[in-house]
Amino acid sequence: MAKITKSLETLMRQALDGDKCAYSDLLRETAHFLRPFLQQKLSSRNDVDDLLQEILLSIHKARHTYNDLRPYKPWAYAIAKFRLLDYLRTRYADHLRFAIEISEVENSLYGCVTEPRISYESINGEIFKLSEKQALILQMMHQEGYTTKEVAGKIGMTETAVNVAAHRAYKALKRQLEE
Amino acid sequence: MDSIEQLIKALTEDETKLRPAPHPFMQSLKWIVAAAAYLAISLVFFGLRPDIMQATENKWFIVELVTLFGIFVATSVSASLLAFPDLHQKRITAFAPIPVLVLFLVVIFLAWSADNPSALLPEHTYECTYCIIMVSLLPAIWTFYSLRKFASIHYRLAGGLALLSASSIGALWLRLYEANDSIIHVVEWHYLPMLVVGFIGLWLGDIILKW
Repeated sequence: MAKITKSLETLMRQALDGDKCAYSDLLRETAHFLRPFLQQKLSSRNDVDDLLQEILLSIHKARHTYNDLRPYKPWAYAIAKFRLLDYLRTRYADHLRFAIEISEVENSLYGCVTEPRISYESINGEIFKLSEKQALILQMMHQEGYTTKEVAGKIGMTETAVNVAAHRAYKALKRQLEE
Repeated sequence: MDSIEQLIKALTEDETKLRPAPHPFMQSLKWIVAAAAYLAISLVFFGLRPDIMQATENKWFIVELVTLFGIFVATSVSASLLAFPDLHQKRITAFAPIPVLVLFLVVIFLAWSADNPSALLPEHTYECTYCIIMVSLLPAIWTFYSLRKFASIHYRLAGGLALLSASSIGALWLRLYEANDSIIHVVEWHYLPMLVVGFIGLWLGDIILKW
């Protein structure tokens, strides 16, 4: 794409006079500065593309409401924000419309879908076969619910050392359980 | 990116010389002049209230008419600004109806306080609202038709202000036509319905002005 040297206001004035080339440059530049704005608001690339197309169409429909006596960007951003809000409103309205009430499906839900196969208690005996320090670390992290940082503080180790010890303990546990 | 390029190409092919929309102040001036002409014709057709000379001696009546006309002007200007996506970058001017409406409320309150002893309540009631709506119909249709040619992103507000502007013309006409000085009646059957019409405009704006 050739570098645009004319201001957006000039391009729009020329476009309104029927200059197709200026209009094409203007739309390209508009897409260029609106894309990062939309990327900040939407995570999906497809959503950004869809919305950008809608905004360019709206700019095309509303171009007669612009004259070059005022800056172009606030005018274009006003339309972009309007379409963005419209897009999000429709999208969330759809999400709500198609959402299922939990009461409608609670009978078909399994009782304990999140119950882990292995709990701390079920492998308690194996943990105490580990070294004293490793067992203490696992007990503090998985039974008492301390974070790595808190464990490090309590037993006088660095956070990295606790992480390394925990990692070694997991490996040792895995070996013991596989045997 | 390809889809964007294709769209730009299609839109560019569609591009022809286009006349920019008029400045919002020129647009509102057009509405104001046309509405003033319509009001004058209506008054010539239906006639002025028989006690008009006596009524003009009451300063609160004059102040009420002036502020009512102020509402009409402010709402017209604001509706025409709201017709542009960026409010023609005159955001503060778009809020003009708020101070005028506050001033109008103060004037009505003072006129109410000054209405001592109270003027007799007329026998008719809803007929006044009906007349205001009938007279406002034409300006309302014209304003909405004009607004549809723009691209308002505040379509509800634009619709509300357009109907408030049109109904203020109807209310002005009725104050100059009907020989009635009961402020209670005027508030109840002229001005409150005028506000209700404005609220209906919010809903109509959503239906008619959305693009």
